[in-house]
Amino acid sequence: MRTATIVFAAYLLAIVLTAVWHRLPIGMIAQSAPDIGALTAAYLGLTARRGLAPAMGGAVVTGYLLDLVSGTPAGYLALTLALTCVIAYGTQRRILVRGTAMTIAFSGFVATVAGVLGWAVRVSQGMPRSAVSLELQYVVVGTLTTMLLGPPIWRGFRRIDAAFARTQRERDAALEGLAP
Amino acid sequence: MTLRRRLLDWILAGLLIVIPALVLRASLSARSPSRVDQAVLRVTAPLQAAVTWGANLVGGWWGKYVALINVEAENRELRAENEKLREKLAALSRRAVDIDALEALAALKQKSSADSLGARVIAAPMSPEFRVLRIRIDRGKSDVSVGMPVITAGGPVGRIIKVFGNYADVELVSDNAARTEVVIARTGGRGIMTGLGKTDSYACSIEWLERATNPEAAIKVGDEVVTSGLGATFPPGLLIGTVSKITGDDGMFQSVEVMPSVDVSRVRSVLVLLAPPPPPDPDAKNKKRSDAMFGARAL
Repeated sequence: MRTATIVFAAYLLAIVLTAVWHRLPIGMIAQSAPDIGALTAAYLGLTARRGLAPAMGGAVVTGYLLDLVSGTPAGYLALTLALTCVIAYGTQRRILVRGTAMTIAFSGFVATVAGVLGWAVRVSQGMPRSAVSLELQYVVVGTLTTMLLGPPIWRGFRRIDAAFARTQRERDAALEGLAP
Repeated sequence: MTLRRRLLDWILAGLLIVIPALVLRASLSARSPSRVDQAVLRVTAPLQAAVTWGANLVGGWWGKYVALINVEAENRELRAENEKLREKLAALSRRAVDIDALEALAALKQKSSADSLGARVIAAPMSPEFRVLRIRIDRGKSDVSVGMPVITAGGPVGRIIKVFGNYADVELVSDNAARTEVVIARTGGRGIMTGLGKTDSYACSIEWLERATNPEAAIKVGDEVVTSGLGATFPPGLLIGTVSKITGDDGMFQSVEVMPSVDVSRVRSVLVLLAPPPPPDPDAKNKKRSDAMFGARAL
């Protein structure tokens, strides 16, 4: 239920940002919206409690819904986010994402990873690609915007986690970013 | 977590990578969305439409009202820029007019065999009705002298009546003191055109124009008036104006009003004809006509 709520929240947020982002008076940054999918997949991977599969399931569903929202071929973002989730799960026992600076840095990391993975998926599946300079520009701008919005989005996810906590201790740990 | 559960977890995770990859491959080869995609879209599309509608509503409100804060400053900047560009355009237009006038003057100078000198109009006193009464040019004692005719490509302007320092005043053909020998181009009727000296127009008049017995030869409104060359002020054949009104007709003579061809209020540069009118010869009575006419001594 917790994963489903996070996925639904991410889906809603992605729809809102897709509709709003290009209208914001933020110049060049408006070209590339924050990678909500990457943040969600990374959060699910990083906070996977009972194994990797449920988190990846959430990431795949998020990716699939975002595929439908953004009009990319079904499965493209699902695969990319599944791989992003695996990478985030791999970092789970090595780093603790806590505090604004760390959240910003980790958001930037997952946005870059998702961008590179997306490019790799496109290459492997023979999908159309832009010029390398343009791809790089999108990755850089997307990483910047994801870093900007990373902390509030993760805070929202932690609140959802806290809402599903069974004990006060779990709740505090979720809000502090100490989960799992 | 037991080994079996861990193994199962990794197998499921592997499947969750393989399945999207297969879905992606299938969707790349398919031309339209699958049934599953269509079903999901049918459920999610209303939500997406509602959110987009709300965002557009807020975005529209933002764009129409809040974002207009900067528009005011931008508008001010654009107005200032527009003002500058208008000034520049006006200056360039004035320059273009000057250049046109100078080109016409240069062509006239080339065409005319008379020795002439270009001059710029530096002042033009006006009547209360905004009609130029006289013009001042930037040529003085060293260049011009009293009596020299002043013309433009459009026709005669007047003659120099005063020279002082580096400047000279030109009496216009429309001045009430000006007298110009003219000919009606169509009929050949001669007369003396005098300025009416009006402060609200440049009108001139010709009195005592002999009326031809042939009705076709009578002067009509619109007839062109040219200089006759007599009176030694202007060279012959210059268009000086057009008959604008027949003011009198007593059966023998006609009086007409003439509108000069040159709009003096727009004149920026002129040509001064340097051949002055011949001075009166004090020995004229003593000279034998044959000397002057043929240059030969009488027997």
